[in-house]
Amino acid sequence: MMNTNCDHVVDYLNGTLTAEEKQTFEQHLATCADCRELVDAVGELPYLAEPAEPPVGMKSRILANVFEEEPQKQAEPKRPVEKEKTVPMVKPKARRSSWAPLIAAVLLLSLLGNAYALFKLADEQQPATESAFQSIELQPGEAFGGSAKAAIIQEEGSLEVVVQAEQLEQLQGDEVYQIWLLKEGQPVPAGAFTPDADQQGSAYYSMTENTEGWDTIAITREPEAGNETPEGEIVLSSEI
Amino acid sequence: MEKSSDFMLYTRIQQKEKAALEQLYDRYEKILFSFLYKMTEDRDLAEEALQEVFIKLWRGKGEYDESKGKFTSWLFTMSRNSAIDLIRKQKKPSVPLDEIGDLVSSETAVEELAEWQEQKDQIQEAVSELSSEQQKMIQLFYFKGMTHETISTMCNIPLGTVKSRIRLALSKLKKTLHGVQERGAIDDEY
Repeated sequence: MMNTNCDHVVDYLNGTLTAEEKQTFEQHLATCADCRELVDAVGELPYLAEPAEPPVGMKSRILANVFEEEPQKQAEPKRPVEKEKTVPMVKPKARRSSWAPLIAAVLLLSLLGNAYALFKLADEQQPATESAFQSIELQPGEAFGGSAKAAIIQEEGSLEVVVQAEQLEQLQGDEVYQIWLLKEGQPVPAGAFTPDADQQGSAYYSMTENTEGWDTIAITREPEAGNETPEGEIVLSSEI
Repeated sequence: MEKSSDFMLYTRIQQKEKAALEQLYDRYEKILFSFLYKMTEDRDLAEEALQEVFIKLWRGKGEYDESKGKFTSWLFTMSRNSAIDLIRKQKKPSVPLDEIGDLVSSETAVEELAEWQEQKDQIQEAVSELSSEQQKMIQLFYFKGMTHETISTMCNIPLGTVKSRIRLALSKLKKTLHGVQERGAIDDEY
């Protein structure tokens, strides 16, 4: 019996056992020091490989895909409320891109309206909620021709960011324009977008945690979506 | 020490801790990519295989436990299987025998990766004690992921013999590696 199991070691290493056979062999592995040593010795062979330099951006691509692959049921229930709300227009460019600036514009107007209403309210009554509205013109980095405006609306318990950008350079491959909020040099992602055919792009982002103390807003050109820390160059930025 | 901390990371990954997966990724990215690249000879395919590995790690449910041997052996076996799947799906033409490189290269340049270099030295020494026939078996079987049937056809050896030769080659590898490692451990003490 033992010998029969030991015979399976080569097939085990070559991944040609059925699930059932594999399970049986693994039970055997737990009790047979000889086979375990063999498997461990073979496990050293990869170190024979010549070092190869991983492709640029591989880590963020892989990690983004790994965490994306997570079944939605598991991902959602933990923090259902304050997920980022972007208006990304990432994939179906032709159909949706022309709507995105409009959506952003409507949102911006709506938020402006809210802010105005709140200001009025604050004037007329004792301030029930703190609210602040800020319109910011972002400065392009060296050799970048685009421009962008951001509106930041802070209310008690939430922070809304709307960005509208123009004359953007077209992106390549999986690249996106990523918006960041920074506090003492520490960035957090605050929405992303890709330009449409008219080189315009916009995004809306809402956060309910950590809403205060941001000192800078910046836009980078990232090699792919979903980066938690910036990899690309800053193309537009401004103090808040 | 390394082993238990790998296992701890693995346990944290099972509990869906993203930072633990990233830490494991950072720890093994270089060796895994290099290994997968050696197997697939294709950077895109190597990346795809690596991604499969981490998806499996993230979504898999407790497949590894310490009774299955070293964590790295398990991780490398899983990686190798991912690469084999991709290679077989692609149906890449077999590499002609005369293009199968040597397992033991004369010079290596991994200065910055001291730990890797140490392991590499040991395994190279053990492999160099195998006959060239045995080295070829390991190269074809392990790195090229060839089935016994393919090796049998390519090398014109009966099917049954292929399997027993692989077994013998691996057994000898295990013994010599033990010797090398024990000697290394003694050297370290002095």
